[in-house]
Amino acid sequence: MTAPLLTVRDARFLRGKREILRGIDLDLPEGGVAALLGPSGSGKTTLLRAIAGLERLDGGEIATPGMPLDGPGTWVPANRRGFGLVFQDGALFPHMTALRNVAFGLTQLPREARRDEAMIWLDRVGLAHRANAYPHELSGGEQQRIALARALAPKPKLVLLDEPFSSLDRALRAELRHRTTQLLAASGISALLVTHDAEEAMEMAATIALMQDGRILQSGTPETLYAAPETRAAALLLGSANVWSGTVKAGRIETPVGTFAAPEFQDGETAHLIVRPESLRVEADGTFTTVQRAFRGGLVDLVTIAPDGSEWRASVSPEMFPESERAGLSASPSDVVIVRD
Amino acid sequence: MALIGTRRRSLSLPPLPVILAVLAAGVATLPLFAVLVLAITGTGADGYLRHLASTRLPDYAINTALVLITAAAGAALIGTGLGWLIARTRFPGRSIFEWALALPLAMPAYIAAYGWLDLTLAAGPLGALPTVRGWWGAGLIFALTLYPYVYLLTRDAFLRQPPHLEEAALALGRSHLSAILTVALPAARPAIAAGLALVAMEALADYGAVIHLGAPTLTVGVLRAWSGAGSLADAARLAVMIVGTALLLTTLERAGRSRARSAGQRNAPARTALRPVGSVLAALACLTPIALALGAPLARLAWHAWHAEPAQNIWNSSLNSISLAAVTAGLAAAFGLASAYALRSGGRLAAIPVRTAMLGYAAPGAVAAVGVLAVLGVVQGGLDHAAGGLFPVLLTGTLLALVFAYLTRFAAAAIGPCETALARIPPSLDEASRLAGAGPIRRFWRVHWPLASGGILAAALIVFVEVLKELPATMILRPFNFDTLAVVAHNYASDERLGQSALPALVLVALALPAMAVVARQAVAPRRIELR
Repeated sequence: MTAPLLTVRDARFLRGKREILRGIDLDLPEGGVAALLGPSGSGKTTLLRAIAGLERLDGGEIATPGMPLDGPGTWVPANRRGFGLVFQDGALFPHMTALRNVAFGLTQLPREARRDEAMIWLDRVGLAHRANAYPHELSGGEQQRIALARALAPKPKLVLLDEPFSSLDRALRAELRHRTTQLLAASGISALLVTHDAEEAMEMAATIALMQDGRILQSGTPETLYAAPETRAAALLLGSANVWSGTVKAGRIETPVGTFAAPEFQDGETAHLIVRPESLRVEADGTFTTVQRAFRGGLVDLVTIAPDGSEWRASVSPEMFPESERAGLSASPSDVVIVRD
Repeated sequence: MALIGTRRRSLSLPPLPVILAVLAAGVATLPLFAVLVLAITGTGADGYLRHLASTRLPDYAINTALVLITAAAGAALIGTGLGWLIARTRFPGRSIFEWALALPLAMPAYIAAYGWLDLTLAAGPLGALPTVRGWWGAGLIFALTLYPYVYLLTRDAFLRQPPHLEEAALALGRSHLSAILTVALPAARPAIAAGLALVAMEALADYGAVIHLGAPTLTVGVLRAWSGAGSLADAARLAVMIVGTALLLTTLERAGRSRARSAGQRNAPARTALRPVGSVLAALACLTPIALALGAPLARLAWHAWHAEPAQNIWNSSLNSISLAAVTAGLAAAFGLASAYALRSGGRLAAIPVRTAMLGYAAPGAVAAVGVLAVLGVVQGGLDHAAGGLFPVLLTGTLLALVFAYLTRFAAAAIGPCETALARIPPSLDEASRLAGAGPIRRFWRVHWPLASGGILAAALIVFVEVLKELPATMILRPFNFDTLAVVAHNYASDERLGQSALPALVLVALALPAMAVVARQAVAPRRIELR
């Protein structure tokens, strides 16, 4: 493990009296993509803007190895931080061609070299043939590719991506995600991606930090976060999940889908059981009533009601799909997580 | 079976809005056409133009160019700077300055000129300053009274820019200043150009200020040809030069504005909060143009009004001004509304008369008046012929002629705001109300009017202010012994009786300011109307 590329310590940010960031700690590893995943209003974009140098923290510090960027008595403005930045809307300069947009940040190079370098980057995003087009002549996807090329061309150590794909339609988004991941890997530039799309974060990022209400709930690899969320909120941020709350008795929690050991809980304590829909086993007959079925290609989504009235969602493959209204649902202990919050 | 695709084609008269729109187009363009015809075919005073060309015409042309360039440069500086400040920063008082900065549009340039010349004459209280006169003085006065056109359009352009444009430049290593100069400002260029075209057109149309400050432009030439040499044809020939320039400027303005519009949506403003020192400086920057355009000249005139014998006919002329302005405003709003409806419902064909009517704005007051005289002369001639003798003087020198000329020039000013007001009403509302069984009249009163009345009122108020301020057309066409505030103020001022001129001038501005305040507040509202 090398030293982190960027560290954030106890970052706090106020807008008026509202606390937008309430003590954020974050280490960005060198190389690869990290993601900040959270709903809108969670403070993830503010954190990104603070890292970029577009907002100043009200408390805490941001630093790169050997160089503090933001903190009490320290302030390095955006134009001297040398990070790349891609906005949600691209923010291309409307009065410049694609080529001049990409060349804009290459101020260190002599004029001729600037043009050549910009052409190389246009080629890398597959838009060399659009070099002389103005932004309004480009499609949304093309604009975002130019914005990406513009941010990467000066070869920053870190590029910050603020929901760069969210204004595009679904198919285009997937394609651009793929292209961006490849480009980042090939150029060895680290990236911090801000997104509210769990699928996007899991596909692109090696590590994810889950944000809500100005705090980081949990961070780790996508696999860990998905399989072992520490809270209900964390579980729900990454995808759909069944949550069942009950009281622990004799180290066990009894639920409609089985009884599970909860060794870390006291008797009488409230515990929450989390299980993903695709982890539930479904049998043709049982005590659950199926109230809704939705065919989703490879899987069928079921909504069932347990005898105690709780609702359970399960995803099963069509061949296991029970025809009757009755169904039996159960989960194996290795597929459930029991949490306090 | 007539279940699908039957659409009743009516062979009856076109709907009322289209008729009115065509009428508006006629009112707006007939005088321009008449000027052109007269310039080509009319017989002028013997040798007048040749004489003029060898004496004063070059001066007129040079003055025009110098005044326009000075005015444009000044207005660009003031208007763009303030537009950026209001759009991009936050400081105490910003939301008031946002509309108050448009108020100088209520100030006729000639009244500002009376005040400033008097202030800076050697004997005046600001005698130490260079005397505001000549082409640069006129240019300065126009910059101060007309910069709001640039301010409003650039403010809008800065609001339309993606909020992150400057931040993107910062992240690419540019300094703040460099980000503004290389990114924000060039991206606002079309809007600046459109605003400057409006400034230049207004300056071109002015008569009172340039003659008072001793920088006679082509417009002065038109009035002199008519009043001095009594030659309408020669006036028309000079007018053609003005219309040519104005049409060029209009084209520039339209092109600039359509490019500025295509630049994008309005965005949630990303404003930098200024620190205390910056806030004070920003407030000063906003106060200064208002104080210079309105405060200083009005204070000087108020001082004069206080110390002078009042002019006798202030009530009469006030009443005349108000009623003329109100009647014209009402008619212009009706034309504007009809044109907007024609555009909304009439398809491509209806757009032709509307776009034609917009040309009227290229006719400065003096030109419109000459055109109206020419048109009415033809009509009068026809009547005389039909009557077999001298038909009673019906048309020339009547209020009808005056309102005709005002409408030629200002109906176009009402079309734009009415169009934006109606454009806010989505067509789906029409369909919904039609499905609910509402006929066109009910639809208008119950759906359109409540939603669009603000914009239509603003359109009327814009015309109201413009007619109050109008001087050259009124001078040419007013009936004998019929005075407006503008004419009284001008006549006294040109007799160097500023004391008597001050009161009508003050009353005029006092009438125009509240109307302009309403317009200004609408012009900066999130769903704004457009001034032209």
